[in-house]
Amino acid sequence: MITDPRIYLSIAAVLFSLGVYGVITRRNAIGVLLSVELMANAVNLNLLTFGRFVTGASGQVFTLFTIALTVVEVVIGLAIVVLLYRTRSDVLIDIASELRE
Amino acid sequence: MTWTDLAPLGVELILLAGALSLLIVDLILPPGDKRILGIGTLGVFLAGLLATWTLPLDGLALGGAYEGDAMGVFLKRVFLLSGALAVLAVQGHGPKAWPRRQGEYHQLILYSVLGMSLLSGVRDLILLAVAFELMGVPLYALAAWQKRDAGAAEGALKLYLTGAVSSAATLYGFSVLYGLSGSTRIADVAAAVSAHPSPLLALGATVAVAGMGFKLGVVPFHMWVPDTYEGSPTPFIAFLSVGPKAAGAAALVQLLLPGHGALLGTVMELFLVLSAASLVLATLMALPQSNVKRLLAFSGIGHMGILLMAIATGTVDGLASLLFYLLGYLFTNAGAFVVVHAIREDGGDDSIDSFNGLVHRSWFLSGAMLLFLLSLAGVPFVVGFWAKLFVFMAAWQAGFEWLVILGALVSVLSLFYYLRVAKAMFMGTTERRDEVPMHWSVRLAVSICLIAITGMGLYPNPFVAVAEAAAKAFLG
Repeated sequence: MITDPRIYLSIAAVLFSLGVYGVITRRNAIGVLLSVELMANAVNLNLLTFGRFVTGASGQVFTLFTIALTVVEVVIGLAIVVLLYRTRSDVLIDIASELRE
Repeated sequence: MTWTDLAPLGVELILLAGALSLLIVDLILPPGDKRILGIGTLGVFLAGLLATWTLPLDGLALGGAYEGDAMGVFLKRVFLLSGALAVLAVQGHGPKAWPRRQGEYHQLILYSVLGMSLLSGVRDLILLAVAFELMGVPLYALAAWQKRDAGAAEGALKLYLTGAVSSAATLYGFSVLYGLSGSTRIADVAAAVSAHPSPLLALGATVAVAGMGFKLGVVPFHMWVPDTYEGSPTPFIAFLSVGPKAAGAAALVQLLLPGHGALLGTVMELFLVLSAASLVLATLMALPQSNVKRLLAFSGIGHMGILLMAIATGTVDGLASLLFYLLGYLFTNAGAFVVVHAIREDGGDDSIDSFNGLVHRSWFLSGAMLLFLLSLAGVPFVVGFWAKLFVFMAAWQAGFEWLVILGALVSVLSLFYYLRVAKAMFMGTTERRDEVPMHWSVRLAVSICLIAITGMGLYPNPFVAVAEAAAKAFLG
């Protein structure tokens, strides 16, 4: 058992940064979804660490809420990706098409 | 906990009861004509609006995580009206285009408004996160509503991805704020930030606010806005472009302004830069657009810049001007999108060209659209002028002279692209001379918006007084 909260917080920060990197670089919608999951899990790890070492049970409660919120989001996200696949038969996204006429 | 503890949540309970009974009624009704669901939803919104005047909504609820006050009541009216207008305008289109999915459409709007309504008085980070998602998740489904259309799926995916990333970022910011302050109460977080300012707390606050910026659609988090607007049903966009923006502004107010959240000092520079960037870039990108929905999308991004300016002042005047702005923007923008919807129903394709010669085919629609566009641009005698003026005055007093000058310049420039639509309507030519067919609901929605913007444009004082009272109640 590692008892230094900084280790867990650092892992969470690394996870979050990896998620942000994936969101920016991935062009496949599923890949972006996975990266968002990494970010969400960084949040959970952060909250659990604070709850365990600093603040008490409210951290765990907050984590339960964030897990539920993430699940809700992923369900609807996958549904939209399936919809996109049905209409276009690929799931590549081009987020920077703002200048198109 | 007793029932009286839930009294401040009266409007939310009405919305929830309405949405759940709609679910049951939708199951009982035989497949076929389900128009009654839309009328029922309008009834729920009207009941909620009535409740904001009749029920005692002040006080703490949910163990202190929610507090009703005059500002919350003001915002709830804005949210309920935006939902009601979106539902009203779809009554002609819905039964034709997706007759079997009317129940779901109306329920999702109700749940989204329920989330917004909770945001109007949130005092706790957990409730803030939950209410934000409750508002946002129905919007993802609604954006993909025209499911045979590839553009709709793409627009919905962009809305979803930016929404999901922004939620994750906001939650990460919340987790840092929570961990360093030891409490999920927004007031305790603010106290900890002012007692022991640290770079990490500033980081948490910045990440949380940037995440909310995504939802508001301010530059540089605006990529989803034009594509989502283009691909989704227009009455829904009339809702998306107003309700969630107002709710996002409400959430920022709860977090940032003194009295409860008071994190404003930490993110002030970020706010001013985002505001200036939104104002300038939105105007420049709106100029070449040939699609009215994309044009209005960029115009909306510019308006978010003005909202950020109003929040950044942090004064009673600034907050009052923000509330008045939201009310004016609600009717102006929703009205404009309902007109675009009416043209689309007539066989148009949302391009500026489909507005050509509209004046020969409908005085009512072209005149209404002209007033909506003038109000968006901020021309006197319609509400947009007063709304912008009050924000600019508050911002000038708060010392953001350069931002006010920039905002005024951009407003003048924006007249150019708004009037391109007006020029098509009044100077363009069309072969058709038949009257534009309009469902009664569209006519009613446009009339309500028209009366509201001219009424508030000619007699702004009573509305400003209510907004000021609400702002004073919040800032104390």
